[in-house]
Amino acid sequence: MAAKPIASPIPVALYPTLSVFTLAIGLVITAIFFIYETTSSRKNRSLGKELATSAVASVFLGFGSLFLLLASGVYV
Amino acid sequence: MAARIGIFAVVVAVFLSIPAFSSAQDLQIVNAERRIDLSSHIVKDFLTLKVENIGISPAAEMLLAFSPTQIKNLAMVQALAITGKKKKKTYLPLDVKPAEQPDAPNDTGYYRVTFVSPLGPGETVSLEVLYILTNSLEPFPVEITQSESQLVYYHDSAVILSPYHVKQQTTFVKTPSTRVESFTSIEPANRAGKEIKYGPYENRASYSYAPVIIHFENNSPFAVVEELVREIEISHWGSLQITEHYRLTHGGARHKGVFSRVDYQSKRSVSGASSFNALLAVLPPRVNSVYYRDDIGNISTSHLRTGFRKSELEFEPRYPLFGGWRATFIIGYRVPLEDYLFEASDGRRYLNFTFGCPLVETIVNKLTIKVVLPEGSKDPYAILPFTVNQDLQVKYSYLDIVGRTVVVLQKDNVVPTHNVPFQVYYTFKPIYMLAEPFMLVSAFFFVFVASLAYVHIDLNIARK
Repeated sequence: MAAKPIASPIPVALYPTLSVFTLAIGLVITAIFFIYETTSSRKNRSLGKELATSAVASVFLGFGSLFLLLASGVYV
Repeated sequence: MAARIGIFAVVVAVFLSIPAFSSAQDLQIVNAERRIDLSSHIVKDFLTLKVENIGISPAAEMLLAFSPTQIKNLAMVQALAITGKKKKKTYLPLDVKPAEQPDAPNDTGYYRVTFVSPLGPGETVSLEVLYILTNSLEPFPVEITQSESQLVYYHDSAVILSPYHVKQQTTFVKTPSTRVESFTSIEPANRAGKEIKYGPYENRASYSYAPVIIHFENNSPFAVVEELVREIEISHWGSLQITEHYRLTHGGARHKGVFSRVDYQSKRSVSGASSFNALLAVLPPRVNSVYYRDDIGNISTSHLRTGFRKSELEFEPRYPLFGGWRATFIIGYRVPLEDYLFEASDGRRYLNFTFGCPLVETIVNKLTIKVVLPEGSKDPYAILPFTVNQDLQVKYSYLDIVGRTVVVLQKDNVVPTHNVPFQVYYTFKPIYMLAEPFMLVSAFFFVFVASLAYVHIDLNIARK
């Protein structure tokens, strides 16, 4: 019987680094989103741009919080 | 004393007068040598048998008989077939299963040993049988003070109980120290130092039984774990988290009177001779994040030594354990996933882990192992070399929607010989791993959508 060991898809040693970078990028894009919200007026606000920015920001923040959980020992 | 010997003689005569129980095959034991090791509270019996087929048809198996009290306390029976001579001996493991015989005299219990190849008429085979008994040393006196030594009774038979005729047999009993208060003498029996020799006995009929009682000193730690629950949580993100809940007792003579800490610390060799204060747990080699705590909090009296083949955790409960005292604690640790999780050739994943309790020389009365499989696992299936009770449960943990399947394995009367690998198979599609980050992503997206809605919704009453 072939006994191939199964490991995590991402090397465990990378979790802290990955979490810092993805969270940083996520927070930067969140900042871009909120700056857009506050600096634009009702007329020239584009819903598509808002939704796209929030989608990308939530993906990065979601993965960043997952890696943060894994790096701190809560293996979900 | 004379009355007791009289009773023994009557019992022996009754047993010898019962007509020999004829098994399906006619086997006879030419030579039997039994070595009983009473050094610790786990009694180990090594039986070397030379079995001959005196019938006319080949015999594929043989029966091992045990008295009713022994069958209750039997933790494990293993048999090996010895082939070859002297230096070139090879040992082949044989299949041993409990057997039921309808007309068993006096509630005798049986185990059936299947030979490698059926034994032809007139052939002999050499077997080595190991059986382990737990809870077989009865403390007497039942209660002792702190300054007394622990003396125990061991009940057995000088003549090996067997459904076959035994031509020649000898029994050697090894005690932990030279102090033996008394032992029943069934001629020829003599004692030299730490060894008592019963035999050689010639030509004993089947089911002959000669009860003996050995009263000796045994100060080895009687560490008994009343209940152990081991939870192994598999996380495909890279680790195996093991949490063990122990309820430990001292299973020897109960402690009576006061506990004097002054006596205990000043005269350690005399005071509390049968008590123990440290235990050793053998953990996997690449272990990290080991913790040892109880309901009060962390217990700092522990030493962890990691190594290449195994790690050793030497830990001390908050107080030394005397007879009848209890200690409850939790030991937890983490091991890397790639050491234990593998992919089978048919695509299924399986966990290869060690069964049993990591503590050395400890009996576990009730062992429960819970293997928590990740969310999205299907068709769990456990394979073990011995019988356990299997069950399935559901556990809700971090970021769970439908819950995680838990395979519960339960076994009673577990000894360190049960620490063998077992496998739990399950199927898992790797795409299910994305369910957890997807949940987090959607949570953040919901926050953004809420803020968008707040910004876009116009709550002015007056018309612009």
